[in-house]
Amino acid sequence: MAQLHFNDEILMAFADGELDEQVAASVEKAMSSDLDVARRIAEFLRSRHLVRSAFPSASASDVPSELLAAVQAQIDRFEGHAAQPETPGKVQKLQTPRHALGLDMLPLGWALAASLAAIAVATGGYLVGQRGAEPSLSGPIAQLAAPEVRRALSETPSGQDRDLPFGRMRVISTFRMADGSLCREFKLEAASGSSEAVACRDRDWTVRFAVASGATNDSYVPSDGADLMAGYLQDVGAGAPLVGAEEIEALSGARRRK
Amino acid sequence: MPRPIGQELVALLPRLRRFALVLCRSPSLADDLVQSACERALANADHWTPGTRFDAWVFRILRNAWIDHLRRTRTEGMKEDVTAQANIVGDAGEEPMLSKLLLVEIQRMIDAMPSEQREVLLLVCVEDLAYREAAEILGVPIGTVMSRLARARRRLVELTAAA
Repeated sequence: MAQLHFNDEILMAFADGELDEQVAASVEKAMSSDLDVARRIAEFLRSRHLVRSAFPSASASDVPSELLAAVQAQIDRFEGHAAQPETPGKVQKLQTPRHALGLDMLPLGWALAASLAAIAVATGGYLVGQRGAEPSLSGPIAQLAAPEVRRALSETPSGQDRDLPFGRMRVISTFRMADGSLCREFKLEAASGSSEAVACRDRDWTVRFAVASGATNDSYVPSDGADLMAGYLQDVGAGAPLVGAEEIEALSGARRRK
Repeated sequence: MPRPIGQELVALLPRLRRFALVLCRSPSLADDLVQSACERALANADHWTPGTRFDAWVFRILRNAWIDHLRRTRTEGMKEDVTAQANIVGDAGEEPMLSKLLLVEIQRMIDAMPSEQREVLLLVCVEDLAYREAAEILGVPIGTVMSRLARARRRLVELTAAA
C-alpha cells in the first residue's frame, strides 16, 4: 500500500482543527497505522499547550491605569461622552478640541492626532496655524521648500545628517508611494523650530506633508508628531523603505529625469 | 456616525497590550502602541464590518502601527531598549503539570524567536485565531502563517525535549 507523506504543516493543521474533512480523514487513518505520524501530531498539540501556558492571561488588571485613562479619553472624544479622565498630563494634552485648531479640513484620523502642539501641512502645501501663532513664511515649514533642502534630498543617503545654512537636515528614509512616486521622509532642525516632512519627486522635490513644532513650544512631544507622520504614511500607502543599492539607484534615476 | 466601539475597545485592552508586548518587548513602547492603535481604530470605526471579528480588526491596526514605527526606526536607527524584556511569564496555576521553571524556560525560548514567529504563536495558539484570520492580520498568505507556525512549534518541542 502506498504510504502517504504528510508534512509538518498538514499535521499541525490537523492538530489545530484546520483541515477540511476529507484531508482530516486521511490523516486520521494514517495516524492509526503510523506511530511517527501520531507522535508528530501529539507534539503539535503539546506545543500549542506549552505556548498557551507560557503566555500571561490577559486580564484587565494588567492594563496600567494611565493607559486605560488615555484610551477612555480618546473614546470620550470620539464617541462624545462627558466623562473626564482621571489622570492628568499626557491625557489632557490629547483632549484639545480639534476645531479650535482649524484642523477640520484634514481627514478625521489626523485631525485628532493633530490636535497637539504641531503644525500640519496637508497635501498641496496648505498651512494650518499653530495654536496661538500665525503661520509664518519664514518658519520651519517655509524652509522645507528651500533649494538647499531640495538639493540635499537628491544627494543625501538615508540616515545621514547634512548641515544647511539655516539648520541641520537628516534624511530618514526613501520609499515609493502606492502610485510609484519616489518620496523621502526627512527632518529639519532650524532655529525657528523643527519639522518632519515627506517630499516626493515629480519634476523637482515637492513637500507633500509636514509636521512641525515651534522652537519655543516646550509642550511639543516628538512621539505624537511621529504618530501623525506614521498615520500619513499608512494612509497614502507608503511602501517599505528602499535601502542600500536600491535607494542609490532610485535616487540616481530621479536625478537623471531632472 | 459610525457604531460606537469604545466599550469593545476597553474590553480588548488587556489582549491588545499582550500582543503589543509580543511585538515590541518593551512595556512603555507597548502602551504607546496600544494608545496609537486605539486612536486609529476610533477614527476609522466605520471601516469595521459588523459581523466580522472585532479583535482581529484591531489587532491588524495595532500591527500596522508597529510596522510604521519599525519603518521609521529601521532607517533612523533603533532607539528603544529592546533588551528591556517585559516580564510576561504566564500563570503556572493555569496548568499544574507545568512547573514554573519550565514556563520561564519556554517564555525565554519564545522571546529569543524572530518576531515573525512570536506574533504567529500568540495569534494562533493563545488568541485562538484561525490561520486565515492570522494571515489577514499579518498581511501574508496562509501558507506563510503555517510554515512560520510549524517552524516555531517544532523548535519549541525540540528544545523542551532536550531539556
